[in-house]
Amino acid sequence: MARYLLHRFGQALLVVWLAYTLIFLAVQLLPSDPVTIFLTSDSAVDQAAIDTMKAQYGYDQPLLLQYLSQLGALLQGDVGYSLTSGEAVTERIGGAIGSTLALAASALAAAVVIALAVVAAATLAPSPVLRRALANLPPLFSAVPVFWLGLVLLELLSIRLGVLSLFPDGSFLSLAVPVLVLAVHVSAPMAQVLLKSVEQVYRQPFIDVLRAKGASPVWIFCRHALQNAAGPALSILGITVGTLFAGSVITETVFARAGLGSVVLQAVTTQDVPLVQGLVLLTATVFVAVNLLVDLLHPLLDPRILKDARQGSAPALAS
Amino acid sequence: MLDSARSPRIHAARTSRASRASVRISTLLVMGALTLSACASGPQNAGGTSPAASGEAVDGGTLVYAEVTPINNWQTQAARFYEKSNVLNSVLDRLAYFDPDKGELVPWIASAFSANADSTEFTFTIRPGVTFSDGAPLDAAAVKANLDSFGLGVPAAQIQPNVDFAGYQSSEVIGTDQVLVTLGAPNSNFLRATSSVTAGLVSPATLQKDAAGQSAISSISGSGPFVYESEKPDEEVVLAKREGYAWAPEGAENPGEAHLDKVVIKYLPEVAHRAGAVQSGQVDLVRGLQPVDEAALASSGNQVLAADGVDLTANMAAVRTGSGKLADPAVRQALQAGIDRQTIKDTVLSESYTLAGSVLNHQAPGFVDLSADLAYNPEKARQLLDDAGWTEGSDGIRAKDGEKLEVTVTSSNNSVVIKPAFELIEQQWRQIGVQLNNRAGDNTFLTTAMPDPKVEFFGTRQFIYGGLGPIFEPANNTMTHTSDPDLNALFAAERAAAPGPERDKFLAAEQQALVVDKALSLVLWDEVQVYGAHRNTHIEFTSGTAPIFQGAWKADG
Repeated sequence: MARYLLHRFGQALLVVWLAYTLIFLAVQLLPSDPVTIFLTSDSAVDQAAIDTMKAQYGYDQPLLLQYLSQLGALLQGDVGYSLTSGEAVTERIGGAIGSTLALAASALAAAVVIALAVVAAATLAPSPVLRRALANLPPLFSAVPVFWLGLVLLELLSIRLGVLSLFPDGSFLSLAVPVLVLAVHVSAPMAQVLLKSVEQVYRQPFIDVLRAKGASPVWIFCRHALQNAAGPALSILGITVGTLFAGSVITETVFARAGLGSVVLQAVTTQDVPLVQGLVLLTATVFVAVNLLVDLLHPLLDPRILKDARQGSAPALAS
Repeated sequence: MLDSARSPRIHAARTSRASRASVRISTLLVMGALTLSACASGPQNAGGTSPAASGEAVDGGTLVYAEVTPINNWQTQAARFYEKSNVLNSVLDRLAYFDPDKGELVPWIASAFSANADSTEFTFTIRPGVTFSDGAPLDAAAVKANLDSFGLGVPAAQIQPNVDFAGYQSSEVIGTDQVLVTLGAPNSNFLRATSSVTAGLVSPATLQKDAAGQSAISSISGSGPFVYESEKPDEEVVLAKREGYAWAPEGAENPGEAHLDKVVIKYLPEVAHRAGAVQSGQVDLVRGLQPVDEAALASSGNQVLAADGVDLTANMAAVRTGSGKLADPAVRQALQAGIDRQTIKDTVLSESYTLAGSVLNHQAPGFVDLSADLAYNPEKARQLLDDAGWTEGSDGIRAKDGEKLEVTVTSSNNSVVIKPAFELIEQQWRQIGVQLNNRAGDNTFLTTAMPDPKVEFFGTRQFIYGGLGPIFEPANNTMTHTSDPDLNALFAAERAAAPGPERDKFLAAEQQALVVDKALSLVLWDEVQVYGAHRNTHIEFTSGTAPIFQGAWKADG
């Protein structure tokens, strides 16, 4: 087990470092340095002013030196300074992440509930027609764009009916509506995968045995089908983090909420490269961390993974 | 409220049935099953008769203003964007104020200002009794500290000089209440530059803070009619009226304290909700209304207000000649003649927009009307292109020496109308055998296209407090990426000329050269910011399109 943990942690760190290096190299591919891009974003600027600011931010140093000093600073928790406000990137992101975490975490929880409810209903509904209709809900959820659903709900609830503020006002609805919008979208892949693997489990002979023993459909679903089908859905949960983050950005923009969404939008529109770098690094880290967590949870659901690892082959994730 | 500020053009609900129907149809397409009853209901009084359009000012109340996007850098020199200057305009006072009706600068914090004969020395007399919100006096020493920060930057806080202050050498305090500014080269635009929000005066204590400190609205002290009260980062900023404010610009109808108690600035990035936000009474004022919403908002009894950008260039396609395809001025003239601007106005703009007559706004000092040279004339365009050797190929696109006349435009997505406008231009140029690769509104592309002289067009408008020189003159200017010696000579002559007929002569020559002879700026429409205001809101705007909250009031308090 210790070896497995070490292996996974090492891999995760490697991925984050590679991601960081890739971001650094991507910035070098830009037509000029971040300061020049930032300062020339709206009008002509004196070359001397550009040179001064470049020196202040260290962009006049040789490439390797820039990389090493940035990496060194990163290890001490310093991701640099926003070109727009002069604020530390960590502070800027730190100030906004709370609101996004609240939105994303609530939406994830709501998405799991929606996915479970849809799968349970699509499996247990009495009529085959109803089951088929319910099974088609996840593709529909997936097809509805987050921004469209948000806009329609705001138009209806806020502008037509006047029950919701266009701006976040701390009321229950002003959190619940964005959470629902995001959750609907995020629940779709989970529900699709879960439904598929539940169907597979139902084709296994032991289900027939359970039925023959007189187990109720609800008992079979909850106690046996769901547990055996959970593995693939858990893997999807790891991948969903990306969707969740992208969805948060859109949801925050539509609902005028503070959070990483507006930081991303501002960083990109004002061409604040250090801030963009910090955000990409954060996304990569969160992505890696969540997938690591999912990998670590997997053996609890399916002990065969650890057994495979012990036998020397790469840990096989549920297919 | 400045009585000298122009009343914004107000659109009554004169909308024809046909265009209202088209608004409904497009709304239907977007909204699908939603009921549209609310669209047609509501009082049908015209915007012009709203209770706030005339009548007595009402004291008290809170005005909710929705800006387009939140920002986090409130440092003075960086206020070159509407979302910053629109708010800072009410927090920071300036030395002078531009009165577009008179077409000249009037005293503000400087009770008098003058220049020497060759525009290298400027003397400002500072109004007595003005204080910053932190209690510090706004005296000659404070003005000198501010001017130094604009002219020389604040190296300790990584703050760059203000581009409109090029040539600034030094300031010195003379006597008790005067400041003498010395420039290294003549610049008769210098006084105008002091009227810009980017030359807003802050307390000396603010200037001592580091970059982050000077960027945070919570730590900026100005002498303006409103002061910072609170903020929720990225969600709202609350300003409260400055008690005892008594130094509005000369000629202001309200010389003293603001009528409103508070202004709450919120953010509405989603363009589709801006009209609805006003209609449903959730905001009193919103910026960035899209043309398609104007008629519906006016017909609901609310106001559509067009704030003219007198302090800005017209919206234009600035030409870069780096790819060589547009090296011949005749080709550029052909492209201007190939733009049917009236159709653009009729199709994607609205009555709030005025077709440009030059690169300057119609109301700007020194404007000359070049409309006759800018008229749509596809025949002339084809002839010019034929004569320049660009002949039409089998696919309808012209080519010369095997190279197709295929050009690219870049622009930010800041303007709600720029992308559809270039979509129409793409179609119109197709008629004269030119292929336009339309990347307007694509901010990612803009990052690489801005510094690339091979991207033929940059769709934009710019603040010109320092005249046209600062944006077209430097060799690395992002408008044209060309330093044109003829133009530069005109810019220098303009700066050296005394304000008045002599300078206007050079301004006219600049416009003729830039727009017609060299056609380095294909002008489209005058800059305008279209605001939606609730029927009970009384608001006017500066020549830089910023709302004047100090003069604003709400009819029902």
